[in-house]
Amino acid sequence: MIESWAFSGDLERGWLLLAAALAFGSLVMLVFEVMRRGPSAGRLLVAGSGLLAVLALVLAVLRPVRVFERSSTVGARLVVLVDASRSVDLPADAARSRRAVEDAVLEELRRHFADVRVRALAFSQGEPSLLEGKPTSAAPTLGSDLTAALESIARATDEQPQAVVVVSDGRLERPGPDVGDATIRATTGRLQVPVHTVSLATAEPRDAHIRSVRLAGSIVAHQPARLEIEIGCTGGLGCGEQLVTVRELHLGEAPVIRASSVVRVDGGRGAAALEVTLDRAGRRILEIELDSPDGDAIPENDRRFVAVDVARDRVRLLHVAGRPTYDVRALRTWLKSDASVDVVAFFILRTRTDDVVASQEELALIPFPVDELFTKHLSSFDAVVLQDFDAEPYGLSIHLRRLADYVKQGGGLIMVGGPNAFVSGNYAQTALAEVLPVSLRGIPPDAAVDLAAFSPALTRAGRRAPVLEPVASLVGERWPEMPGTNVVGDAREGATVLLEHPRRHTKTGAAMPVLALGEYGSGRTIALTVDGSHMLQFSSFAADSGGRAHGAFWDAMLGWLMRDPRFEPASVELPRGCIAGVPTTMALRAMFADEGAEADLEIQRMGSGKTVRQVHVTFADGNGRTTADLGPLEAGGYTATVRLDRQGRSAPSRHDFACEAGGDEWADPRPDPTRLESIAQATGGIAVAPDGITKLPQPRATRVVAERRVEAWLPAWMWTALAAALMGGHWVARRRDGLS
Amino acid sequence: MARRRSRLTRRHLGVATLAAALGTSLRAGAFGEEGAFHPRLLLTGTRQPDRRRRTALGRWSTEVVGRTSSPARLGPTTVRADGPPLLAEPFAVWSGSKAPEPLTAREVSWLQRYVAMGGILLVDDEEPGEGSFLRGAKEQIARVVPDGSPIPIGDENVVFRSFYLLRKATGRIQKEVRLEAIVRAGMTQIIFSPNDLLGALARDPGGGHPFEAVPGGESQREQAVRLAVNIAMYVLCSNYKDDQVHAPFLMRRRGSESP
Repeated sequence: MIESWAFSGDLERGWLLLAAALAFGSLVMLVFEVMRRGPSAGRLLVAGSGLLAVLALVLAVLRPVRVFERSSTVGARLVVLVDASRSVDLPADAARSRRAVEDAVLEELRRHFADVRVRALAFSQGEPSLLEGKPTSAAPTLGSDLTAALESIARATDEQPQAVVVVSDGRLERPGPDVGDATIRATTGRLQVPVHTVSLATAEPRDAHIRSVRLAGSIVAHQPARLEIEIGCTGGLGCGEQLVTVRELHLGEAPVIRASSVVRVDGGRGAAALEVTLDRAGRRILEIELDSPDGDAIPENDRRFVAVDVARDRVRLLHVAGRPTYDVRALRTWLKSDASVDVVAFFILRTRTDDVVASQEELALIPFPVDELFTKHLSSFDAVVLQDFDAEPYGLSIHLRRLADYVKQGGGLIMVGGPNAFVSGNYAQTALAEVLPVSLRGIPPDAAVDLAAFSPALTRAGRRAPVLEPVASLVGERWPEMPGTNVVGDAREGATVLLEHPRRHTKTGAAMPVLALGEYGSGRTIALTVDGSHMLQFSSFAADSGGRAHGAFWDAMLGWLMRDPRFEPASVELPRGCIAGVPTTMALRAMFADEGAEADLEIQRMGSGKTVRQVHVTFADGNGRTTADLGPLEAGGYTATVRLDRQGRSAPSRHDFACEAGGDEWADPRPDPTRLESIAQATGGIAVAPDGITKLPQPRATRVVAERRVEAWLPAWMWTALAAALMGGHWVARRRDGLS
Repeated sequence: MARRRSRLTRRHLGVATLAAALGTSLRAGAFGEEGAFHPRLLLTGTRQPDRRRRTALGRWSTEVVGRTSSPARLGPTTVRADGPPLLAEPFAVWSGSKAPEPLTAREVSWLQRYVAMGGILLVDDEEPGEGSFLRGAKEQIARVVPDGSPIPIGDENVVFRSFYLLRKATGRIQKEVRLEAIVRAGMTQIIFSPNDLLGALARDPGGGHPFEAVPGGESQREQAVRLAVNIAMYVLCSNYKDDQVHAPFLMRRRGSESP
């Protein structure tokens, strides 16, 4: 127990100073008064009694106390922020990676600050995490946000550190390269401590790389967009002119070259603006490749895989109908009423056997430009609707392979039933038959339609599918009676049946699909085997819903075809991104999933279409969220397909993503010690190299008080009485000396 | 071979439609025919339809089937304006020779629902000389569609180019060269024909024409048939021929026609 004393036990420092100032002023005035009066017998008595009176008065106000404390001195607290981003996997020098240097630096820091409580945290994105073990044993992450880490430490409610040491290569997202001292100081906020920095590397690797890929504005389907690409050459590598190629990746298809250009590299930097036009909306994966020169140290950053979200100005849709009917009318009316749909329609109004009783010039008919549509313009459409259309008499048969390829590359296809659709429309045993979500095999032409009336029945998947929810909200689970159907076979593997025939079965014994949704390559297809969806718009059945069910149905169908998130039964995301060669975790969210619901997750590599992972997951707690460990993936584009199993297999949800070796973290491999120096300078810290750690100052130890007791020297009334007595004595002395 | 199958399908439909016309127990809308063109005669009040003009509806469908790729139901049917069957299909024809009885509140209500759902109504005057039906029908329609009034439509309207390129409207009587219509949200929904279109289409049991086309004779009747076909195609295709892709062709052909 240590004993000490204090002027006051309850007054704050400001009051103490005020009391001292008043006492000092009183004494000055007393000295001035005595000096002016000149020599006298009682001068010393007056001065002495006055001094004692003032002191007694001050003590009566302050009331001094004795303090008894039990305390100990502990080492200062120091936070070491270790860069855990992917960039520290780049080489620091010829022998070691920056992450390996981090191991050595952290060890040296612990040695240097042996008497200091060192807490090592790994920072990348958001709040830093406790670093357990060596940096080389930690999983690399994308992002290097030092600002977020410092802000997090400043916000923490536990003991604040006396200093922070940042161990990094300086290649940081935040603070950026061009921020000033004030901005850096603002970063630390109320954390008023020096930030020292240790630079992991200073030498630039001999490397050619794609430093940045930027889109000038948003990218809209069918419209050219400018892709700005910056090329860098460092470490004295001679680059000269380099070829840059941009490809679009597709599932199960070879990449399609969208643009290429030769870039001249001067002074270690080159830039190109490439114009690319993407036809399909939604998330697309672009591969940007640089033909690197010999001697390139990091070949992984010569190729970027970039996910771009292609917006859709309007859905451009080709509507082809074999003959005008109320079903055609209803669909066209809805398509034309939707301002977001740009519909190009071709209806066969006259067959070769029709007798129009008029010359060609008296007719308002135009030739059906089938060759032009399905060769030159096909890629300009987001989706094609074939409604009760016979492929053979109008020359479509020779384009069916092209139409299948169109779907494979991301186009949408809807086949609507009628006497000239499916098998009756001469689609069996064609390339397009393989695209449809239902099989057309083994169905004889003379049994290709079923004339028996029926009401389609919802399947288990249909009851749960978001794509049928809008129409179900209007008409419930009932569907109008259909006057027959095209006959089709089983749903294809991976397809989802939402409506089925209540009595008719396929050869395998399964209920015959009436409405089926499927994926083919990068595109989607819908098969509707009836020609009576117009009864959702205009019929006695439709009257209750005012005919709105038809629009609700087709809006959802087209939305699903165009990957509108509203109609996806599930979604996925990569919380920590995807780094090639590093275990990846995927988060899944199901729109409708009961506790215990299950789902199949399939990961396919774009290009080859090869399935690289198949994971079965369970939504254990019923909140519709779960995660799946995918393990390490190679660099490239991937498609994740989720199929929910709980209430019948749902329509698959597809999500494309890219996996890169280094991504933005490796895009510029140069270390940036200058930025670390700026940070240290702005915060009062010092910047050192790994061999200069001993220069870092030791933070002061902290005294921690375990017990503290305060006792008054005298009771307050005694201080007051003493002051009053001495004031009275001073008054008597003054009177006797003739003072007032 | 495939083409033969296709034609067989159409023939099959023909049988189905014929069976329906004969009043067999076959459903009116077999597969492929549910969405077929079907002119229904609208009945209001207590008035019964003219028997000879009922035959015009079958003739109308026959001409549509013979001249176009569209299926049509050959059997003439009627539909009352005061009940749910009115909403079964999107097309009806209201014709008469005298001023119609005022629509009941129930008829007005169902007709309003019909129009709101996008139904198309052809109002045809059987006695163009008097014009009392058309005048009365317009008054009654004004109660159904109070926010719309008839406007003249001519060859600028899609109805005049939905299949044939037509310069003028006609019927049994050549009273007006233009039709009138109530256009709602860009869609021609109620068409007023002052020329007795059904009269030009009517057939007697022997296959002859019970009404003479005046003054143009058979040439005028052919034009009336073409207008009927155009109306049918407008009902089935909506404003398809307004699409931009057709514009250059139609402008060229309109330009090549003699004035």
